[in-house]
Formats: sequence, C-alpha cells, structure tokens
Amino acid sequence: MSAAAHHGSDYHYAHHFDSLGQQQSTVRFGMWLFLVTEVLFFGGIMSAYTVYRTMYPDDFEAGSAALNPLAAILNSFLLLTSSLTITLGVRAAFDGDIAGLRKWLMATILLGTAFLGLKANEYYTDVKEGLVPTKAEDVIEVAKSVTVNGHDTIVYDKVRSSVFARKLEHVLKENEHEQLFEKCNPYRVQLFFLFYYCMTGLHVLHMVIGLGLLVWQYILAGNGFFNFKERYVYVEAMSLYWHFVDMVWMFLLPLLYLAGPHSFDHLSL
Amino acid sequence: MNLDYAPQCVPAPEPDPTKPRVHYLNHAYGWLSWLFTVDHKRIGILYLVTVTIFFAAGATAAALVRLNLLTPTSELLPLDAYNKAFTAHGTVMLFLFLIPVVPGVLGNFFVPMMIGAKDMAFPKINLLSWYIFMLGAAFFLWTLLSGGIDTGWTLYPPYSSQYSHTNVLYAGLGIFVAGFSSILTGLNIIVTVHKMRAPGMTWNRLPLFIWAMYATSLIQMLATPVLAVTVLLLAVERVFGIGIFDPTLEGDPILFQHMFWFYSHPAVYVMIIPGMGVVSEIITCFSRKNIFGYAAIAWSSVGIAVVGFLVWGHHMFLSGQGYYMGMLFSFITMLVAVPSAIKVFNWTATLYKGSITFEAPMLFSLGFIALFTIGGVTGLYLGVMGTDIHLHDTYFVVAHFHFTMVGGMMLGWQAGLHFWWPKMTGKMYSDFWSRLSALTICFGFFVTFIPQFIAGYNGMPRRSPSYAPEYQILNVISTAGAFIQGIGYLMPVFYLTGSLIYGRPAGNNPWRATGLEWQTTSPPPQFNFDETPIVTCGPYEYSLTSDDVYKHIPVPSTNGVHTGKEGVHA
Repeated sequence: MSAAAHHGSDYHYAHHFDSLGQQQSTVRFGMWLFLVTEVLFFGGIMSAYTVYRTMYPDDFEAGSAALNPLAAILNSFLLLTSSLTITLGVRAAFDGDIAGLRKWLMATILLGTAFLGLKANEYYTDVKEGLVPTKAEDVIEVAKSVTVNGHDTIVYDKVRSSVFARKLEHVLKENEHEQLFEKCNPYRVQLFFLFYYCMTGLHVLHMVIGLGLLVWQYILAGNGFFNFKERYVYVEAMSLYWHFVDMVWMFLLPLLYLAGPHSFDHLSL
Repeated sequence: MNLDYAPQCVPAPEPDPTKPRVHYLNHAYGWLSWLFTVDHKRIGILYLVTVTIFFAAGATAAALVRLNLLTPTSELLPLDAYNKAFTAHGTVMLFLFLIPVVPGVLGNFFVPMMIGAKDMAFPKINLLSWYIFMLGAAFFLWTLLSGGIDTGWTLYPPYSSQYSHTNVLYAGLGIFVAGFSSILTGLNIIVTVHKMRAPGMTWNRLPLFIWAMYATSLIQMLATPVLAVTVLLLAVERVFGIGIFDPTLEGDPILFQHMFWFYSHPAVYVMIIPGMGVVSEIITCFSRKNIFGYAAIAWSSVGIAVVGFLVWGHHMFLSGQGYYMGMLFSFITMLVAVPSAIKVFNWTATLYKGSITFEAPMLFSLGFIALFTIGGVTGLYLGVMGTDIHLHDTYFVVAHFHFTMVGGMMLGWQAGLHFWWPKMTGKMYSDFWSRLSALTICFGFFVTFIPQFIAGYNGMPRRSPSYAPEYQILNVISTAGAFIQGIGYLMPVFYLTGSLIYGRPAGNNPWRATGLEWQTTSPPPQFNFDETPIVTCGPYEYSLTSDDVYKHIPVPSTNGVHTGKEGVHA
C-alpha cells in the first residue's frame, strides 16, 4: 500500500503489481478470504455452543433469561445502521467525495462506539449482578425446623452455597423467570455464561479492531490519501470486514439473548 | 538456442561470471535489511534458518526419548520428564517445523517465482506472518524453559485440564499465535496464485507444486481458526475452572477431541501435500519425461484437502464417539486414500521408461514415494475400525505417522531443498555427500521405524516410558536407526553451508528444468525476473524441444503489444 508513491496526479500501484485493476481485485479478494477464515473461527465456537445447548437446554435457557435483550436489540439497530453508513462511505470514496467519506466514516465510528458503550454498560451490569462464572462458595445459614424433645423448633444449618447460584436466582426472580431457576443446574448455567463472555468478547475484540481501522481511514481521508479515487478499494475492503462483524452479531443475538423465554417458542401469539 | 526440453518461458541468458551482479542476496546488506525485508525470497530464507533451528530442538527431544527407550525400565529420565520430552518433540516438530517448513520456506520462495510474479500478493503481511510465527515460537520456548508440558501434542483433556500442573497455557498461546501465521501464509499464497500469475500462466499450466501449495493453503485457512477457538476454550476453562472439556468438571472431553481433530486431521495433510508437490516437480525433471496424469495429480491435491476435512473421527474410534459414527468415518477414510494412491500411481507411471538420473533430489523423492506408500497403506490398517481396536495407541500408530510425516514430509522437504538450493543460493553442493545423506536418511529411517511396526503390532503401547522386556531388542534397533538418521540430517548442515563458500556456481538451470523459476538467473534478481515472463506452454514439456514450442509464438514488441509476427526468440 505504502509502496504506492504518488507524484503529481498520477496514481502508482505497488511495485509487484502489473496494473491498478490487479491490485484492487487482489485487495478485495484478500479480504474475502480473510473473512472465510473468520467464519471458521466464529463457527468453531458457535458449534461448541450448540453442542452444549443441545445437551443442557434448560440451563442455557435460564442463562439467556438472565441477560438483557433490550440492550441487545438496541445494539442490533446501531450495528445495522452502521452497516448502512459504511456503505454510503464506500460510495462517497468511489465518487471521490472526501467530505462525504469523512462524514460517513465518522457516523460509522460513532455508531460503533455507541454499540461498545452499551455493551460495556451491559457487561458492567452483569458483573454487578454477579453473573460471572466462579467457583466461589460461601457459608450460609439455612433455617430448618426440627423436633427436639417433642417441641418444634427452628435451627440454622451452615451449608456451603455457590455464590453464582444465589446471584442467578436473584436475577431470574427480578426478571420474573424464577420457574427457570427451578429447572436449571446453576453450575451449568455458568457454562452458558462462559460462552456468552467468550463469544461477545471475541465480537467486541473484532469491533475494536474495526473501529481502529475506521479511525485510521478517517485520518487518512483527512490527509488526502483518498484523493486518489482508486484507493476507494481500501474503504471497500474495510467495509467488508465491518459488515462481517455485523453478521456475527446477527448470529449472536438469537444464540445468546433469544434462547430462553424470549425465543419464538415462548411467544404467545 | 535450441534446448532438448521446452521451458515455460524464454530463458534468461547466463550472466557474465566475470562481472559483479546484483541479486536478492546482495542488493542490500545488514541485519535490518533482512529483518524489515518484504521480499518473499528473503522471508523464505528467514523461515529456512528458523525452522532448521526448531528442527534441531525437536530432534534433540526425540534423541532423549529414543535414548530413554533403550531399556525397558526408563533409566535415563524421570517419568514426568519423559512425558515432557515426547511432548516437546511432538509439539515443536509439528507446530514449529512440519507445518511451516515447506509453505514457509519453499512456498514463500517459489510460489511467486513459479507463477512469474514479482512478489507475494501481500508482501508486508508475508513478513508479518514470520514475526507472528516467531512470537508463537517464543511462547513455546517459554513453555520449554519454564518446565515444559506433559500432555502430548494433542493436548487432550484431562491431561491438559487443571489436572495437569504444567504450562498448558503458554503452549496453548504458542499454538494460537503460530496458527495465525499459518493462516496468513495460506491466505497470501491463495491470493497470489489467483491474482499474480504471469501472462500465459493459465490454471492448467500451473506447476504441480503450486497446486499442492494451493490445496495446503486452503486447509491452513479453513482448519486453523477452529484450533484457535479450541485452544481458547481450553484456556478459558483453566482460568475460570468451569468445565468445558474437563470431565471432572462436567465438561465433555470428546468435544475437545472433535474440535481438535477437525483441525489436526486436515493439518496432517498440511504436513504431506506440500511434500507431494515437491516430489511431483522432481520426479518428472529427473525422469526427463512429461508428468503422467497432470490433471489427476493436481485435482487429487485438492481432493485430499476437501475429503481430509471429513475424516477426523478416525482418530476417535475408541473414544466413545459412537459406533455408527465410527463406521461412517472409517468409510470416508477409505475414500481419502484414493487421491493419495492416484498420486503414487502417476509418479510411478512418470518414472516408467524415463531417462532417470539419481541426483540427491531424485534419491530423496524416490525415498519419499517408498516411505509414503508404506505410511499410507499402514494408515488403512488404522482406518478400519476392527484392526484399529487392536492397533490403537500402540507403536504401530507411531511408526505409521512417522512414515508419512518424516518419510513423507521430511524427505519431501529435503528433496525440495536440494532441488532448489542452487536456485536459492546460486551454488552447487557436493554431489557425493548429498547422495550419501539421502541414502543414510532412508536407511536410518527404515531401521528406526520398521521395528516400531513390529513392536506395535505385538502390542507395545505408545507414550509409555517403560515396556515389557521382550520389546527391548526392537527398541535398541530403533534407537540405533534414529542415530543413523541423525547423522544423515547433520550432513546437509555441513555440505550445504559449505557450498555457500566452496560450491561451484550452479548456473541458471543446473537440472535443465522447465519451470519459470529456472529461467531466471541464480540467485534470482530482486524482483525475480528481469522481464515479466510470458508463459508459452505447460509446466513439464520435457519431451518437446524449445524450438517446437517457440517457433509458433508471436513476438511481442517492446511496448507489450503483439506484432502479429511469428518467430524464434533469442
């Protein structure tokens, strides 16, 4: 990319290409292939998720019910809109409209950042509510009525209790899904949360990388890099990546947030 | 200039030996010119140096294992040190040597040259993938220095779960990081083959090494991400202590095996298809015959890559994956043997009535065919469920995969290195020592691994530091063979290095080969070709003369527009 020096208004492609068209189709094809590897990357973890969800449906339902679907749906709208703005950005770059390109890149950056903000808030709430897999146990006292010398009396038994289980019970009660807690094994609900953090975490990582690229291209646009219209292909390659990250989210939304009482089966139509 | 073979393009004239010549090795000097190079040839050399060091490390671990097995009672190493030694051997050899060796060195160096390109499609990503590889290797080094791991290279839970107190995390990180290097190399090669071919280099004129690298790259791209996720989940399990794979934490170890082999079975083809590609080049060149069944060899590479994704379950017949699943995987495993057999058949048919000469590359290649065929056929014993129950986890398995990986890839790698060394360095190595090395390695190999077939068939379990005394004689023979092999591997270090100083100039095309990479000067100029080559015929026209091909070619004018005239070039 940087080997392409520019003198005057001539646009020179990199030294190892024979033509501009060759360079552009190479960039595009490279990004498509990279996305293929990404499909396998997310596909691997989604397969593992699916295996366990099939094995432990009740536990995954309980875990899903403890999440906040409203935030997720709001985030979906943000991301889908950002897919539109990046596409308008590609169009602007193609037309050589640098001001338009910068505008749409900035809009995409803002929408992506808003997504991450909402997501961060969601993580914060999850952690505050104690929905983090942990082996921690503490000792609580459980009331029990026993008969001593013919008199009924209450004694307190000290039992070890999973911290996570009590937090989960609390959250599910708040969400009015306590019947799901009765059916689930809280230990395995933690497995759901491992997948939740891994899958959304990987997605967030991809978002952060994407935002970094967007900011970079925003700066490049300001420096006149895209004054050569031919370089729109870099915006296009970036947009492919951005759309892919959106697509991943479109899979994560139903897998994680709509698995439980929010799923189609539970709708009373 | 009339040649008794038809090169794929008009050969460059031999440079005047009395005049200094600028080429890729001497156009810039100093460490930085190497560490910041984006030249695919120099990156290939970087890989060559590093993977050779890793091979030495892996071989040292192998020597420890073999020495320890001299006696039935494990006299040399403590038990856990033995576990760590064979794990170090496996992980280093697989992840740091066999997977990167041919794609990293020969792929980087020769894929652009063989298709007539100036460089890889993404030169910077190419350099990046070497750095990522080195970072992954650094994690492995850290693992070894901080005590090693004892899980075997497969990292099966519960060995790799919290039950194991060794550094699985660092090793996992090493695999994770090195995997991305593999992905990027594969991606780069595929894009290069699609987009960077010289004029006239149609898909049906691609050398078979390119087809092999293409198939390999497909596997690297599609399988490696799944391994990355698997290792990631393993790490998450260890950090949080919630069972994903660990059965004591209600995890499912079979799921790990599925996910691991979904990568690792295709990955064993990453360790053999490049070797097949190298051998396809050499067999035809040293038989002075057109390759037999070009399309069959090319498409069987792709066929292996595709079907190789569907057979992972044959590693798990005894894991409890289910009887019918085992039958299905067993059946598909029989299918994947077909394309490999097609290749062996075609190589043999190419040899038939050829004018064969036995230079070192040819000796290595013939060794490859013999050893790979034995390795492949014994693989069928393991792919059939009934016999696998008897042979599973015995030395039969160890011997089988060494026949394919070492007998296959290691010999394929040596064949390729010897074949292209004159092109890479411009120097010719010692004919005598190189042939001796090839024979020593092949002989040592047989002595090492044939006894292991016998021991394994009789029930000697793999990965065990101690064994029943009746197997001792076989193990002593095997260890002796390993050291003969070791001598064979040491020889090239000396005569190849020596050739850099004392070797006679190789000339542009010492083997009178047809490929594009031989039609430029040795060592190649910085951008591979002084003029963009125009490809005029298929890759292996050894039975035509250059006149036969060139007299029909239109003469291009200097501005790249055809003149419409026909004539003889140069």
